[in-house]
Amino acid sequence: MRKPVLLKDSVLSDKRVGLPIAAKRAVSQHQQRKAFGLALLYLSPALLFLIAFTYIPFLRSIWLSFFITNPQGDTVRFNGINYYTRILNLDGSGRSEYLQSMLTTVYFSLLVVPLGIVFALALALLATLNVKAILFFRTIFTSSIAISVASASVIWALIYSPTTRATQWIIDLLHLNTHSLLQHSSTALFAVAFMTTWTSLGFNFIVTLAGIQAIPKDIYESARIDGASSWQSFRFITLPLLTPTLLFLMLISTIQSFQAFTQFNVLIGNEGPDSATDVFVFAIFTAFWKDNRYGFASAMSVVLFLILLALTSIQYRLLDQRVHYQ
Amino acid sequence: MSLAESHNPQEIGRPILNLGALIRTGLLYAALSIVALLVLLPLLFALSLSVQGPTLSPTLLPDFSKLDWSSFQDVFREEPNLTRWIVNSFVVSLAVTLGQLITSALAAYALANIDFPWKPLFFFVFLGSLMIPWESTIIPNYLTITRLGWKDSYQGLIIPFMASGFGVFLLRQHFKAIPRDLYEAAVIDGCSSTRYLWSILVPLSRPALATLAVYTFLNTWNQYYWPLLIVDSPEWRTTQIGITAFRSSEVTIYNLQMASTIIVMLPTLILLVLGQRHLVSGLTAGALKG
Repeated sequence: MRKPVLLKDSVLSDKRVGLPIAAKRAVSQHQQRKAFGLALLYLSPALLFLIAFTYIPFLRSIWLSFFITNPQGDTVRFNGINYYTRILNLDGSGRSEYLQSMLTTVYFSLLVVPLGIVFALALALLATLNVKAILFFRTIFTSSIAISVASASVIWALIYSPTTRATQWIIDLLHLNTHSLLQHSSTALFAVAFMTTWTSLGFNFIVTLAGIQAIPKDIYESARIDGASSWQSFRFITLPLLTPTLLFLMLISTIQSFQAFTQFNVLIGNEGPDSATDVFVFAIFTAFWKDNRYGFASAMSVVLFLILLALTSIQYRLLDQRVHYQ
Repeated sequence: MSLAESHNPQEIGRPILNLGALIRTGLLYAALSIVALLVLLPLLFALSLSVQGPTLSPTLLPDFSKLDWSSFQDVFREEPNLTRWIVNSFVVSLAVTLGQLITSALAAYALANIDFPWKPLFFFVFLGSLMIPWESTIIPNYLTITRLGWKDSYQGLIIPFMASGFGVFLLRQHFKAIPRDLYEAAVIDGCSSTRYLWSILVPLSRPALATLAVYTFLNTWNQYYWPLLIVDSPEWRTTQIGITAFRSSEVTIYNLQMASTIIVMLPTLILLVLGQRHLVSGLTAGALKG
């Protein structure tokens, strides 16, 4: 992408070929210094804020993760990699609750991601129907992007609440011995996942719809002339051509579900049934906020960073492929 | 797709086919409406609870003969801080949006229009910031803000979010799309680089700036984790913290709870209806951030 710009730059500098080399160098050095100063002036506000509130804190997190800290957050004693071996259950203690919470996070995303994609695909296909008021329906399908996870959590807390009895029929159907889906270890994680699917519905829908609309119309046209049914054109045109979009969506949703916190804090807090809902981000919050173990919580956040980094790099590789593909 | 055929002029005067098309259209609308209703169900549930009066045993559907809309007024009396929470959220969201627009536009301008040494390095610094999730910065940031004495203050809620790598990238991309010749012509006419940014680049990039603004406002309004950490006293809460705290307060009055939640959702819902195009392009671009 940036190749043409570089070419253009070299063409510009070639204009000065006539100058003696030393003079040319002096001029360009002076100009370069001036350009650098000017650029730095423009870059500095954004740079300073990013360095102060992203880079330095990030490095400090890594630093803190090797220390035992006091309640004020000062480092007290060097602790080596003990926190990391504790988190990954390599310390021989046999206590694996943090690996367990990672596993819970994986379960959570295994619920959220497929549900989200199926719903998004269904809505996006409906939204391509050729009727007059389709824009109105598209706005409704998008609406959840404007609703915060906190607001949604407050509403869904009441939907799952025994007072309103809105989900009592599910409890009866499954013969569960509980008052609320959120209080039973076999349904709590699914209940949070379903609510999460609703909050991300608008976004997933928009991305999928954009993917469908990017498919050239004449492919459908020629398939129709060849006598393809609408199921066949969905199965053999839409689905394959939409695969890059769906893969992209899958990764984004996975990353987002690994970072989910608000709904767990509002819907469940510390009252989760049998640790069935202890996701990793909530475990970080507990270590950080409830126990003031800043060093340990930092070590957990570094582990989370590495997991997300792996997912993000897959995502970028995938995006590259998509660009080449088009 | 095939429904488009019903608008064909050839079909005028073929009433049977038209009837078939009419039924088809009706069925499509019915399907769309049912699905729309399902998508909106949680919101309708909230609305239903908010108009049932201060009952302790709300039903799924309200009694339509006596809808009680007073909860939308009462909630401001029952929770006197609600107005303050809304003001807080507006102040914080507007300040962060404005701050990000300014810092991002300045940095994007340098990256898009100025040729300077070590540019790839600076580019990488902005790119790298997108790779760092907020969970990995929040503990030191919390300690810093606490040490500065910025808990329960606007600066504590605003300052950490004044710049974003995403904003820089979004604007850089749009600035780059504006022909370089325009810059050279302006400079020849004696236009300074700051003036070029302000009077030519910014007006030409209005859609991109609007996208960033809507996206940032929405994200800041909906923030939860950060304000939860640095707000102690009730009057410094933002709306998101307010409504969740209101929920867990001892008196559980469902109609007021739902009324406050709906009130707090209104600004972003209005933003969705007015700026849907910008919101959508911001969200899809922002998704790349992960």
